[in-house]
Amino acid sequence: MRPLVRWALMAVAAAALVTFPYWSAPWESTRFATTLLRDALILAIFALSLDLLVGRAGMPSLGHAAFFGAGGYAAGIASQRLATDQLPVTLGAAAVAAALLALVIGVLVVRSEGIFFLMLTLALAQIVFAIAFQWTAVTGGSNGLSGVGRPMLATLDFSSPDLMYVLVAIAFVLAMLTVWGLARSPYGRALTGVRENERRMRALGYDTARLRLSAFVLAGTIAGIAGALSAYSTRFVSAQDAGLGNSIRAFVTVLVGGAGSLGGPIAGSALVSLIERVVPSLLPVELRISEAILGLVFIAFVLFGRQGMVGLGRDAWLRLRAR
Amino acid sequence: MSLELVFQQALNGLSFGALLFILASGLSLVFGMMDVVNLAHGAFYMLGAYVALSVVQLTGSFWIAMLAAPLALALLGLLIEPLLLRRLRGRHLDQVLLTIGVSLVIVDLIGQLWGREVRSLSAPPGLDGSVTLIGGVYPVYRLFVIAFGVVLAAAMAVVYRRTRIGMLIRAGVEDAQMLGALGIDTNRLFASTFATGAALAGLAGVIAAPVFGVQPGMDTDPGLLYSLVVVVVGGLGTLSGAVAGSLLIGPADTFGKVLFQDVALAVIFAIVALVLLLKPTGLLGRIRVAR
Repeated sequence: MRPLVRWALMAVAAAALVTFPYWSAPWESTRFATTLLRDALILAIFALSLDLLVGRAGMPSLGHAAFFGAGGYAAGIASQRLATDQLPVTLGAAAVAAALLALVIGVLVVRSEGIFFLMLTLALAQIVFAIAFQWTAVTGGSNGLSGVGRPMLATLDFSSPDLMYVLVAIAFVLAMLTVWGLARSPYGRALTGVRENERRMRALGYDTARLRLSAFVLAGTIAGIAGALSAYSTRFVSAQDAGLGNSIRAFVTVLVGGAGSLGGPIAGSALVSLIERVVPSLLPVELRISEAILGLVFIAFVLFGRQGMVGLGRDAWLRLRAR
Repeated sequence: MSLELVFQQALNGLSFGALLFILASGLSLVFGMMDVVNLAHGAFYMLGAYVALSVVQLTGSFWIAMLAAPLALALLGLLIEPLLLRRLRGRHLDQVLLTIGVSLVIVDLIGQLWGREVRSLSAPPGLDGSVTLIGGVYPVYRLFVIAFGVVLAAAMAVVYRRTRIGMLIRAGVEDAQMLGALGIDTNRLFASTFATGAALAGLAGVIAAPVFGVQPGMDTDPGLLYSLVVVVVGGLGTLSGAVAGSLLIGPADTFGKVLFQDVALAVIFAIVALVLLLKPTGLLGRIRVAR
């Protein structure tokens, strides 16, 4: 396909995605699909940011929800304490808070690798979660932070469900472009180099610790933005947003979709949203086992399809063409 | 803080430390032998507590539960290791990921089978009273937890140093592949190690139940979180590391909660951070978790 045609197709797809509530209105009166898609896109942004670490830089973090939660809390607290719903203020607060937290945790964890990296990110992020859970005066503790306002941009008010969706969809497109651009940049190539052979990268003169730290902070910042979008959408921040369950959810999303690819986290978020939101409605009410199903799906992918849905799809496509 | 209060909190800290030792020793043992951080360890701990709940309901005896729960967890471990982990032998990171999936399944099924409410289990008759110590009353059960932790640590040390099984464990921690080359059936060794780790988690679950309750979320806090912190601080894969880590974290956490209330966990964060920066092997470990 010629690059121009490809770009045009992508632009059409992006436009269709962003305007979804408007052209789906005739057949989608309950807004179930819009809400589902909105939350799936937030999960996709979250997973894309985690994949910068897991897929590109080879840093398997199990503490990514700490930054998602920090972003949500920061956006909510900023809007309540400063009494403003202006998007630049609350989203800025979310990005800064998540980046600072990622810097503090990052300094401690970037010097470790593999299983140890996973263990340390889990422990440190979970401590942050526990503090959020207990510090009722600031975070609302176990009750969560309720009454988060929908954002405004100057006089444009995103409080209607449709416009809230549009904001999330635009953020998703921007996040995708950012990750796509990063992966192709010299910086992204250097991160891949760190993943493949850190010693060689060091010998080539790269400051690999700084590369890893910057990736950690960048990924944390994007996760914080996803957290803020989630807080706006549901008007609520739960301590669970910052907890291990949410970290695992992002990790499962990346791995099941396929780490290290742009399509992977997106395919993964589609599957995870389906399991979390659609499958329970097919089961009897008293059977609440969507997490167990998610666990089984994850186990199956770790055992038989470590390259994820995107990787399995690519293999199938190549086999089909080879015939 | 009055002297009595300090003394009482010191005992609380020690009993939490003893519990942490029971919990973390299993995680540490499995890591030492198999190089796998079992992230389902917290779920095993939780399952131990819930199995104990049902056994006490059925038989009325806490002591039977204290045998049955570890046994049930050992059986589960004997299933999980050969069926799942063994397929990924040598791929340590993937094995760790697998345990995440196992944990999701176990925790959700516990919620489905036992319900998602907060439950409680009372201490067995004879240990449910309190005694007077230095001017204050103190629950007997917590003293029992301390004693149990000390006896278990001593027993494990004897097994490590004096028995053939202990010799195999020490050799396996050193180099499991070499052990296989020398004719030891490492499949059996790994399965029984994993089962022992699961049993220890289950045992910790039973013993913790009368003090910390039985509820959703206990799989991560205290379960997985504290056992990870203990092994990182104390040192991975060694018995002495688990002892040192629990003796530091138990009291530090208890006093942190008295002194700083809401932000008590910042103390634990600071300890982990200091250890990582100054002694990345942990206090008594040999494996560096960070450069």
